[in-house]
This record gives sequence, structure tokens and C-alpha cells, in this order.
Amino acid sequence: MATETDTQQIGTNKEDEPELDRGPFEAWAARSIKNPKRAYKAMFYTAMIFFLVTTLFPFYWLLMVALTPDGSLQNIVLAPATFDPTLLLAGDLTMGTNPGAFVEIFERLPFHRYMFNSFVIATVTTVIVLVVSSLAGYVFGRLRFKGKSPLMLLVLVVSFFPPAAFFLPLNQLFNRNFAVLQPVMSDGSLYNTPYAMIIPFSALFLPLSIFILTTFYAQIPDGLEDAARIEGTTRLGALFRVIIPLSAPGVATAGVLTFIAVYNEYFFSSLMTDPGAENWAPIVEGILGYQGQYQELYNLMAAASIVGVLPVAILVVVAQEKIVSGLTAGALKE
Amino acid sequence: MADVKLENIVKQYEDVTAVDDMNLDIKHGEFVTFVGPSGCGKSTTMETIAGLTKPTSGTVMIGERDVTDLPPKDRGISMVFQNIALFPHMDVYDNISFGLRLRKYDKSEIDRRVEKAAEVVQLNGMMERMPDEMSGGQRQRVAIARAIVRNPDVFLMDEPLANLDAKLRVHMRTELQRLHKELDTTIIYVTHDQAEAMTMSDRIAVINAGQLQQIDPPLVCYNEPANLFVAGFIGSPSMNFVEGEVAGSGFTSDDVKVSFNPSDYNLGRGKDVTLGVRPEDVYLANNSREAADPTVPLTATTDVLEPMGNEIFAYLTFDEDATSSMTDAQLPGQLLISVDPDTEIEEDQEIEVVLDRSKIHLFDTAGGKALTHEITDTGATSTAGADAEVGTDD
Repeated sequence: MATETDTQQIGTNKEDEPELDRGPFEAWAARSIKNPKRAYKAMFYTAMIFFLVTTLFPFYWLLMVALTPDGSLQNIVLAPATFDPTLLLAGDLTMGTNPGAFVEIFERLPFHRYMFNSFVIATVTTVIVLVVSSLAGYVFGRLRFKGKSPLMLLVLVVSFFPPAAFFLPLNQLFNRNFAVLQPVMSDGSLYNTPYAMIIPFSALFLPLSIFILTTFYAQIPDGLEDAARIEGTTRLGALFRVIIPLSAPGVATAGVLTFIAVYNEYFFSSLMTDPGAENWAPIVEGILGYQGQYQELYNLMAAASIVGVLPVAILVVVAQEKIVSGLTAGALKE
Repeated sequence: MADVKLENIVKQYEDVTAVDDMNLDIKHGEFVTFVGPSGCGKSTTMETIAGLTKPTSGTVMIGERDVTDLPPKDRGISMVFQNIALFPHMDVYDNISFGLRLRKYDKSEIDRRVEKAAEVVQLNGMMERMPDEMSGGQRQRVAIARAIVRNPDVFLMDEPLANLDAKLRVHMRTELQRLHKELDTTIIYVTHDQAEAMTMSDRIAVINAGQLQQIDPPLVCYNEPANLFVAGFIGSPSMNFVEGEVAGSGFTSDDVKVSFNPSDYNLGRGKDVTLGVRPEDVYLANNSREAADPTVPLTATTDVLEPMGNEIFAYLTFDEDATSSMTDAQLPGQLLISVDPDTEIEEDQEIEVVLDRSKIHLFDTAGGKALTHEITDTGATSTAGADAEVGTDD
């Protein structure tokens, strides 16, 4: 198809304008007209470079801020002002930068504990959300019953509200002492415990996951579930052994979205806990901890941000593999 | 022993009755086929036996157990689906061994059984293939292996060959028959292809509108259909029907008259009856010796001819004005006959045909019930004047 038009174009060009003195840009433009694919390719690269720069440059900048020694933060151009490759010859491996910030963040504050807090809260929430939304997705996606649409709408309504709308009642609830919880919590209240975050986050992120999984589960042919049940599973067994494995991309998507959102959450977490790693304060609380009353250690905040992003980055890479393999292995034939 | 017994099964969806008071008694080792038009309830009946659908009322017995409320996995059944339904994320070995692994069999026992099942369906050496790397026939064989590997009491097959091409279908048909011989289990088979039903079954259950019409061996369904529906459904092309009524001298309609003594069949005068005769039981008059008991010739005009190679289907019209190009043998004033391929016959030719009286069926037009499957006596008038016995109105 493309070659056909190419040869036609070349043919007409030969007749119409056989000799034209062109500059390099004009020549490039003429070639692009003859061969539009070149132009599309050029546009593709331009757009890609633009997006790469806009998305990756902040990370680069963050790294530069982290590497700049405290005190010279005003002098970053593209690299820290103190950066000097010639120092390498003198035996200074850091070349005038300050990688020590990545160690210092753990010395000044128990930053690993903040990371652990966020990681645990995000993981537990994701597991709860995936299990509950898998069950709900099965019901909404595969069963027929009266009032299904209104019920689904009701579930989605939860996600229409801004999370702040739920804050006051929840805060009051979690600050109350419950006698039932006395044996578990010292004072019987959920404030300053991970449950104060896991419970509302699970509720807030459920609707989206239910929605995603419903659409995925609905597409699995009925015959596969019937076959699994005949072969010896219960309905629930069929869900976990056949429907979920075949919906891996959907489950991965729902899981990653939930995990990232909870891991980076600040609004609820900061209000449900007192600052301090031992109170299950989240990662953002930790990053803000480097901001003192008289001093703001931007380089440490930048270093902490980079370290904090790592688990998410790893998760996305792993999950992405799962998504891709899930897509290629799918090939469902009814 | 695994007899399957359905007692008064009713399955009702909101405003539709899919299965209406179904009673079936299938013996151990039998190959029973459910046939019927699409939407007749044959698949729903099978799903009820499988446990995938719960009947609104009635009892399902497998062996001596009442399994009506048991989940599919506890019924001792296995099933092959129309859409094959292999698990796409598992290779052949995992697909076949799925049920065994769920039941926590020993690894060595699983290996042994899978190997044996694969041997039966000739799948050796393909254990690591994924379903999407296999052809339709191979996938179907995996599905059958998955079904036989657990040694089920009852084997359910829901149109298992419907998605295969014609040649493979015939091949798999013989394979299934061989399998039935080897396994000695009860097989219940759903199809809308009556060739499959006729060739494979011990008994055929003809179902229409959720009701069992007849359950009998294939040739009984063919030769002695219980009612108009079975007569029209079994056999391809289907039986010719001529609506008429009982007169003093026998059957009479606009085009066809057959004389007999109505009282011999307990038929009252004036009763509306439908005469049925299969295309191969109509003969050209000059070949009337082939018919065991021919009627007096009818004159008709050939309309459309369909040479099939081994026979020719000829559509005859009694009324010359009737145009009937569509292959609907049941138009009034039309008769479909099957003649020898060597017969010299042309379109729009006037010919004389006879019916084989011993193969004539009479049905009650109102209720559809069969009244007789042969007319043996020649009736009271036969001695008086044979020429008046059968004739056309024209």
C-alpha cells in the first residue's frame, strides 16, 4: 500500500519538478512528501522525546537536588555547582557531589520505618481490595439477579465523593475507645494504628477495582466456568483457578492502581496518625520530617523521595511483565 | 451402575418454561441422544443433569442417589462442551489432569491415568502443547480426554462436534462410538444433527418446546414416530404431510385419496387427519413393483429436481398453478419424492407416482398423535373398483 503511493509520488514528482535547487530542509520536506512515513516517524520521535523529557526531567532534577551538598542548593544548573569530574583523578569518587544524603536520610529519621509503614498499609489494603473486589466482580460480572445495576451504581457512588467528606465521621470513630478492642489495642481506639488507614482506604479504592474486575470477569466464557465446576471446583474455586488467572491483566491493573494510590496517600494518613514513624505515619510524613522549624533539608527530602519511589517502580516493572504475559497467553477462544 | 433418572423435571425462567415435566429413565451403559430444534430445552435438560442448572421442581437421580441438590463436582459426571472449553492458560497435561489434581490424587496415579486417557484419544506426545497451538480436532480430543480421565459414571456431551468441519465430524463420530464401546459408561449426548443421533445412539429422545416427544431406538423413531413433530423432525429431507379427513372409504384430501376401512383403525368419519409418507416411500408408477403394497397411481407434475448423486429429490405439484421453488415439502399440494439417480426425469414433466401403503402414517391433525404407521387392508371399496381407490382431484 505504502510502496504503491510512494512510486506514484515519485513518478509525478519526476515529471512536475525535475530540477529544483533545494536547501537541506527543503530537500527533507520534499522527501517527506514523497514518503509520508518519514514525516510520521519524525513526528513520533519528536513527541516521544517531548514526553520523555517532561516526565523524566523532574526525576533527573530530583537526583541532582539530592546529590547537591547542603548549602549550595541555589547553584544547580544541570548538575550541582560543586560537580567537578576532574576530582575523580584526585581520587574523589563522588566528584564533588554528596551521595551521602542517601545515607543521611536514614540517620536523621527512621525513614525505613516510614517506608515500611506505607508499604504494609498499601500491601494489606491491596490484598483486601483485590479479594473483596474479585468476589464482587464475579457477582456483578457473571451472575444475573434483580437490582444488579442499581447496586453497581450504589457502589460507584462511594467513589464520587471527595475523600475529605468521609474524614470527620471516620476521625471521630477512630478516636473513640471501644471496649471490644481493649485486648488488642492498648486504649481501645484505632487512632495511630494501621487499621485507621487500611479500613477507609479499602472502602475508598474498592469501587474502582470492582469496576475494572467486573468488566474483565464478564468476558470469560461461561463454558470455562462450567467446565471447571464439572471437573470438581466450587463456584469460588472456579473463580480462583480459572477466572482470575485468565483475568491477570485486569487483576494486575487494579492491584497496581490501588497500591500506588495508597502508598502515596497523605491526606488521610497524616490525619489518622500523629507524626512519628512509631505511630504508623506514612512515607510522605517522613519526607516532610526533614523540614524543620529553622532549616529545610531539600537535598534529604529529594533523596528520600527517590528511595521512596523504588518499591513502586519495582512493583510496576514486575506487574507490567504480568500484564504483558497475561495479554499474550490470553487468546481466549469461545 | 449409573442409571440416570429424571422425574417430573420443570425448569422455569422468568416467563419461559424451558423444560416442562420431563421424565426420563436412562439405563447404565446406554448411549442416549437428545435431539430437537434449537431452544427446545435439550441443553437445559442436560445442564440439569450436570448440576449447572437447578430445576424449578423435580428430581434428578444418578445411580441410586438423589443428586438434585448436589453441586456438579459431586455427581460423578463429566462433560464435553460445544465450545470445547479447554482452560487456555493450561497446557494439555494440566487440562486433562485438572479434575484429578483437585481431588488430590497421587502424582504417579495422575500420570498413569492421563497417559491412558491420552492414549485412548490418540494424543500422546502433545502434553506440553497449549490449547491455542492445536487444531479444532485435537482440542476436542483433549476435552474428551479430560472428561474420561476421571472414570465418570455418566458422560455428558453437549453438541461436542458442532464446531468441527464436516469431515472431522464424521471421523469423531466413529471415534465416539468406539469410545462408548471401550468405556461402557452411560453417555448422554445433545445434538441438533439428526445424522449424529441416528448413527450413534441406542435411543433417541426427541424434545420439543421443553417436552419429551418420544424416546426410542433410532429406527423406531424413524419408522414409528409418535407424533407429527417427531415424524417431521427425524429424517432428512423430512416426511411429506397431506392434511385431509377420514371419509367412509378412507383418507381423503384435495390431492390424495387412500382407501381403507376407517373402523379398522378406530377412526370416525369426518375426523381431521394428516397423512405422512417419507420421500423414499413414494415410487414412480412404472416402478410400482418396488413398493410392497402400492396405491393406485397419482398424477403430478415435477417442479424442482435436486440431484444428490446417489438419489434425486423431485418436488411434485398436484396443482399446476402452484409455484413452489422453496424446498418446503409441506406446502399444500406438493410432494417430495426420492427416485433412483438413473431415472430419466425432467422438470415440468407429468408423471405418475404411487405410495407404499405399508409405509403410510396417519396422524391426528388436531393433537398430532400418530394413529397408525401402516395401512394394511385395502378397504371395503378395493374389490369394488380399484381405480377409485386413489386419485387426484385434477
